[in-house]
Amino acid sequence: MNGLTTVKTKCITKIIRVEHGKRNYLWPTNGRKLDNTFSLENLDLMKQIIYIVAILLFLTPVSLIYGQITVSPDGSITSIQEAIDQAISGDTIRVEAGTYNESDISIKKPITILGIDRPVIDGEGKGFIMLITADSVTVSGFDIHNTGRSYIRDYAAIMIENSKDFIIEDNRLDNVFFGIYLAETDRGVVRNNEIESYDLREASSGNGIHLWSVKNPRIENNTVKGMRDGIYLEFVDNARITGNVSSDNNRYGLHYMFSNGGIYHDNTFRKNGAGVAVMYSENVDMKNNRFENNWGPSSYGLLLKDIRNSTIEGNRFYRNTVAIYSESSSNVQIRRNDVELNGWAVNIKSSSARNYFTENNFIENSFDVRTDSPRNNNVFEGNYWSQYEGYDLDRDGIGDVPYRPVSLFSIIIDRQPESLILMRSMFIRLLDTAERIAPVLTPKTLIDENPKMSRIQ
Amino acid sequence: MRGGSILITLAVSLLLFSGCEPKPQPIELGSDQCAYCRMMITEQEFGTQILNKQGRAFKFDSVECMAAYDITEDGENFHSKWVPDFLNRENWVNAEEAVYLHSETLRSPMGLYLTAYADRESAEQMQAEYGGDILDYESVKVLVSGEWLDNSENQVHHQNH
Repeated sequence: MNGLTTVKTKCITKIIRVEHGKRNYLWPTNGRKLDNTFSLENLDLMKQIIYIVAILLFLTPVSLIYGQITVSPDGSITSIQEAIDQAISGDTIRVEAGTYNESDISIKKPITILGIDRPVIDGEGKGFIMLITADSVTVSGFDIHNTGRSYIRDYAAIMIENSKDFIIEDNRLDNVFFGIYLAETDRGVVRNNEIESYDLREASSGNGIHLWSVKNPRIENNTVKGMRDGIYLEFVDNARITGNVSSDNNRYGLHYMFSNGGIYHDNTFRKNGAGVAVMYSENVDMKNNRFENNWGPSSYGLLLKDIRNSTIEGNRFYRNTVAIYSESSSNVQIRRNDVELNGWAVNIKSSSARNYFTENNFIENSFDVRTDSPRNNNVFEGNYWSQYEGYDLDRDGIGDVPYRPVSLFSIIIDRQPESLILMRSMFIRLLDTAERIAPVLTPKTLIDENPKMSRIQ
Repeated sequence: MRGGSILITLAVSLLLFSGCEPKPQPIELGSDQCAYCRMMITEQEFGTQILNKQGRAFKFDSVECMAAYDITEDGENFHSKWVPDFLNRENWVNAEEAVYLHSETLRSPMGLYLTAYADRESAEQMQAEYGGDILDYESVKVLVSGEWLDNSENQVHHQNH
């Protein structure tokens, strides 16, 4: 009895699938799908003409009307590559649920490829999985696993090269070398993808979302875990990176190199090997991000190296070894950030100049500011420092004596890292207090003249 | 008797010190940081180092960063410079003797497309497959200073095409 029902269901699905396997044309004006099975009876003349035209179109192999091709494991087309080869520009390929063992799927025409009910593409460890080299391609709704790995080729699950106006969305990538790889593209969108790949040999993992020589990309609401860098940019102009969560990556949550004029807002970077690095770039706008739990000997919430004319505003730095590290950077505005419970709030090298730290909250950091020189070329003004012990007799909300955020002990540690063992000892506290009253070794001009008495909201 | 023990101590310490010729140190991938560009080093086939006469290693994430450091820092106290053989990355090769390939199909961590090889033969083999130019260490330095260090303060930004 049971066996019989199964056979029956199978038959029914097969019939439906066969229909899907054919090319179903969409009516160009209203997008209505025409039925393949129909009768000429009971139809008025007008409708008959329409249907005859439809049949003619159906029989024509090359058509100007956008078509739809369905791929399913037991349909007439079982391979995604085969469907792509048959498709013409503007077609939509619907890939039904099932597992497709395919790699190096090559997309050279502007088409849309939709996964229906999360089909799986398994690259079986061979090379790339999808290679897109045409404009206006959309890929959406796939589970993609197992790219090849190599020291020479950057094998990616989805590789987009020399392309414009593409959309890669709602895909889940697992066990991939590189995830989504953009090379020499313009105006592409990468959104709502999940990339997760844990490789035990950490050197052999690639980047989650990798952008090289790209213009105007939008990277939105993706999740990246366990890769080398979560999001990597090299020679990228005007990137918009928003709402992403990048965590547990071996190196950086976000790695920004030689990339000018971009923004990254509202992202979360958590537990990455080395935090976030923004290097050799100008005019970068970094707002409302969270930099959390980046611990390690060379780990930073945010590492700035050779950055100019940029803004860091409204971010939260929480529990990092060093919240903000700055080397050779200039004219960076750091304002209204919450910097809380970090080892060092700021480590600023004397090669950095004309950076402005204003209206930030520095709360319960082991050290506030560390620097390597008694000279100071940066401005600290109007911040709240939870370690400030001054008073406010005129009750204007601003402390009456300046705050010196560089403690003597932090200078000693910079020269003798081993002395960290003396942290929180009575002796060090005495030294620090003495130095604050009569500074000798700490930078004389690195002071906040107007420290706030209470936390800035 | 006393003089004898001093002599022995001297001899022993001489032996110890002669055994202390600085050797390339292993790079802790995912933890060591490049001494030039501050990036964390993650790729063994690109990680390089300069040893000073005290045996301290300055590690770099790429050939280009080592060359830039070599050009910009005072080399008085340098003992030796080491690069990994791209085809056998466990193997350290003296940077001055290594052969380099500059090929745009082989990307390196800091974007100057440099890989290093133990001998000319393997570099030529890779050149046949991936194209590009074969360089010695001196021409690598010329390339790096041309791309990064010459023409003004804003150098690095201009290597973008």
